[in-house]
Amino acid sequence: MIETISTAVGCSPSKRNPQGVAFARSAAAPDPAIPASASIPLEIGNGFKPRSEAFWRHHDPLLWGVVATLTALGLVMVASASTAIAQDHYGDPLALFWRQSIHVLVGLAVMILVACLPLAKISRVSPLLLVVSMILLALVLIPGIGHEVKGSARWIRFGTFGIQPSEFAKVGVLLYFASYLSRRTLEVRSSYFGLFKAFIVILLVCPLLLAEPDYGATAVLVATAFGMLFLAGVPMMRFVIATGFLIAAMGMLALLAPYRVQRIMSFTDPFADPFGSGFQLVQALIAIGRGGFFGVGLGESVQKLFYLPEAHSDFLFSMMAEELGLVSMVVVVVLYTLFMLRSLAIGYRAQRSGLVFGAYAAWGIGLLIGIQAGINIGVNMGLLPTKGLTLPLMSYGGSSFLACAAGVGILARVERERRMLCMRGAS
Amino acid sequence: MSGHPSSGFGARRWFLILMTLACAGGLIGRAVDLQVNRHEFLKGEGNARHLRVATIPVRRGMLLDRNGEPLAATAPVQSVWINPQELDERGETPGWTAIEKMLSLSKGTIHDIALERGDRQFVYLRRHVEPSLAQEIDALGVLGVHLQREDRRYYPMGEAAAHVVGFTDIDNRGQEGIELAFDKVLSGESGKKRVIRDRLGRNVEDVESIHPAWPGRDLTLSIDRRIQAVAHRSLLEAVRRHDAKAGSAVVLNVHSGEVLAVVNQPSYNPNKRGDRSNHKLRNRAITDLFEPGSTVKPFTVAAALASGSVQPDTEVNTSPGFMRVGGYVIRDIRDFGVLDVTGIIRKSSNVGAAKLGLSLAPRDLWRGLDRMGLATSTGSGFPGEAYGTLPDFSTWGEARQVTLSYGYGLSVTLLQLARAYAIFGNGGLLPDLRFLKTQGVPPAPRVMDAAIADAICRMLEEVVQPGGTAVLAQVEGYRIGGKTGTIRKLEDGGYVDSHVALFAGLAPMSAPLLSVAVVIDEPSDGIYYGGRVAAPVFSEIVAESLRFLKIPPDVPDPASPKSPSGTMAGIEAAFDPLVVGSGYPNNENASR
Repeated sequence: MIETISTAVGCSPSKRNPQGVAFARSAAAPDPAIPASASIPLEIGNGFKPRSEAFWRHHDPLLWGVVATLTALGLVMVASASTAIAQDHYGDPLALFWRQSIHVLVGLAVMILVACLPLAKISRVSPLLLVVSMILLALVLIPGIGHEVKGSARWIRFGTFGIQPSEFAKVGVLLYFASYLSRRTLEVRSSYFGLFKAFIVILLVCPLLLAEPDYGATAVLVATAFGMLFLAGVPMMRFVIATGFLIAAMGMLALLAPYRVQRIMSFTDPFADPFGSGFQLVQALIAIGRGGFFGVGLGESVQKLFYLPEAHSDFLFSMMAEELGLVSMVVVVVLYTLFMLRSLAIGYRAQRSGLVFGAYAAWGIGLLIGIQAGINIGVNMGLLPTKGLTLPLMSYGGSSFLACAAGVGILARVERERRMLCMRGAS
Repeated sequence: MSGHPSSGFGARRWFLILMTLACAGGLIGRAVDLQVNRHEFLKGEGNARHLRVATIPVRRGMLLDRNGEPLAATAPVQSVWINPQELDERGETPGWTAIEKMLSLSKGTIHDIALERGDRQFVYLRRHVEPSLAQEIDALGVLGVHLQREDRRYYPMGEAAAHVVGFTDIDNRGQEGIELAFDKVLSGESGKKRVIRDRLGRNVEDVESIHPAWPGRDLTLSIDRRIQAVAHRSLLEAVRRHDAKAGSAVVLNVHSGEVLAVVNQPSYNPNKRGDRSNHKLRNRAITDLFEPGSTVKPFTVAAALASGSVQPDTEVNTSPGFMRVGGYVIRDIRDFGVLDVTGIIRKSSNVGAAKLGLSLAPRDLWRGLDRMGLATSTGSGFPGEAYGTLPDFSTWGEARQVTLSYGYGLSVTLLQLARAYAIFGNGGLLPDLRFLKTQGVPPAPRVMDAAIADAICRMLEEVVQPGGTAVLAQVEGYRIGGKTGTIRKLEDGGYVDSHVALFAGLAPMSAPLLSVAVVIDEPSDGIYYGGRVAAPVFSEIVAESLRFLKIPPDVPDPASPKSPSGTMAGIEAAFDPLVVGSGYPNNENASR
């Protein structure tokens, strides 16, 4: 553990960076700025400590609460949303619910497993994760291995179940990115070339994603990478220039395929072509609009009866809005906001405790899930063009849930390692 | 910035937090906008997609005869239809050929539909398929092939009651006969309700009823299935035997005006859709007009009796068997010499009838025909009923007056003739005809003195006695009466050598109940007299009908002096138990 930290400190140009030095010091001694309640364990008079208390000493109840609530609510909504389509496809209205339940159970196991892996190990294997991700993304493009659904080659099938490499790739790539940034923070901050080198990974992965095509995953990944660079302290000027490049690249894509832009922009007025390009969004908006304050009631959705496509996955949010109303929408938005802010906080505390990789990983995962949730909800409400993005932790889908679960496991691990450091410092 | 990284980091951290909160706020704001401000609009858009008006089908009412036996019933069948847009253009040939074979369609039919009508979503492949066959087709589970439940009409009596019952088209709309006349009542009104449909068109939930379904009512007709069958059989035999072009027979209840049977030849099978050429479809008894000829003579006599100038025993000299009026020569078949008025009827003397007619004021003769319901509506409401013509007396010359008095120069339907004969049996009252079963005896206007009606009945009875023109009309055990008619047909403005044989009469004469009229059009086996061709049909129909109705014989049995001459009330009770104490007021004198 100590070795890991010293490695991290050694890799980071801490001697030239006062902050880095402060981190290095805080690793050795407890930081007085850390609130006592967050780090100092409660001592009970007779020394008896319940098991649950020992658990919560290492874990963040808010994070777990948010994740558990989102997962549970998601499972309920998947059960409700999938009845019609499951009945139609499998003859059992709960078929998709049971599948998602298995995804959730496996996801929980992955979450625990990942939470048990030392961050140092994760950081060390992150290049391997990147390579595996890219191989999978490349495999999916090979006809015969990749399985095409609705015009996108996103699946690799093994008999009855399949995986979506892009879901795992998002996590794998950003873990490598976090590891890279934690090792070369200074280089990225101080030179254009450093910044460019950091981007190379992204530039390698994006074409693979765009080839599927999976614009949603690309957008989320690029946005997450920018957020991490922003937090890595890249000078504002360079950051703006890089953003300028990004916008220029998007403009190029738009110029190359104007018809695509037109299709993408149809979200601004879906009712102009309610049975063509605006079909999905019109149905999603109708679902939301039908809900009102408290919704039409759990299980009472009409839109899920084949009107709203992907009601159990991409458009789960609309379906939930129809059944449970404005109240549920606010609750879900607040939960994702809490998740995002919590992971930012976990990242900051980790950074202060010298867990640099942990900090970037926490930010990355927070941004990934937060941005994807924000885009998905924005798509559902007609604020953004329609993309094939799931609502993290909630939507139906094994790959999506497993990837998110692994991310949450890393978040938990970061927080745990930080608290262990603090406790060691305190004792 | 790089100089004060911690302050910069703090700012970045806050920037991100604020960004996150701003995004969350934006999303919530949009959510509020959608669910509160645009709630009504979006709900309306949703309703426009989910809510559909569904039809609640109703079953067409049955047609029953007066004893509750079915004349038309509805049974469920399936129709096979295909949605060309669901058909795979590459063709799922094995399933298609199997279905084509089952429906005995030519090979490639489905393929052609898929090719030519690809823009449609609904094409019938075959309507009204037997449920068992439909199930086999359904079991094949061929994509794009669907079933639709429909009702099909069955007519158990087939061609025997085809003209009176009529038929419906494939969509169960009345096309002919009673099916057409009472189409609204029979079909009822399908209900409408608002339902939520899923996108595959399946009903998910009933929202509200727009208007309830009114099921079609069952109608009990005045027709008696047994009499109808007998009439059909007798007429068919006569038409065949005499190689006639056509024929009709009508059986009425003289008191209530109920039509007990209407049959025509040629007929058709209403259960078969192919069998429908126009000359078969015509309900000739109601839609076809003919000159009634000698069957009018009783009315001429009745008018003469009513004028008071003659009595039943007044003698008229018909020698030498012909007479010249205004350039026409009127002939009897032979010289009958001096006949009394009864004799004119019995022998059917044209000269006698002409002399009686001429003795009347034109207006009196005209009233004597017009008020009997000849060439006017019978009140039956049957679709396509013809009225006929009776020229107004102001246009008459002497010749017209003469010809009218023995039945030429006017045109009537067989139904009108049977109704007019009912007057004699009904004590001078003219009943409105009806095709629905009636409880009791509805009020009818008086058009003839009861005494005169009775006198005519006595004369009609003479016609079927030896020495009369229609001995063949006799029915064993019953007293009957009637009048023959043999009419030369008028074609292209002149009378040609083809004939119409007629017989109209009443039974039983002790208390008349049935009025029966028979017409055989163009008998072509050399025999054409009404008494030879039409009277036997009358006899058969009446004999069977009286037996069905359990009317006791009224001919005094020579073996036992105590004859069971049924009283009128007794016969009525046998016919319709409800007649005693009917709600109708007795207005026998109302029209006088």
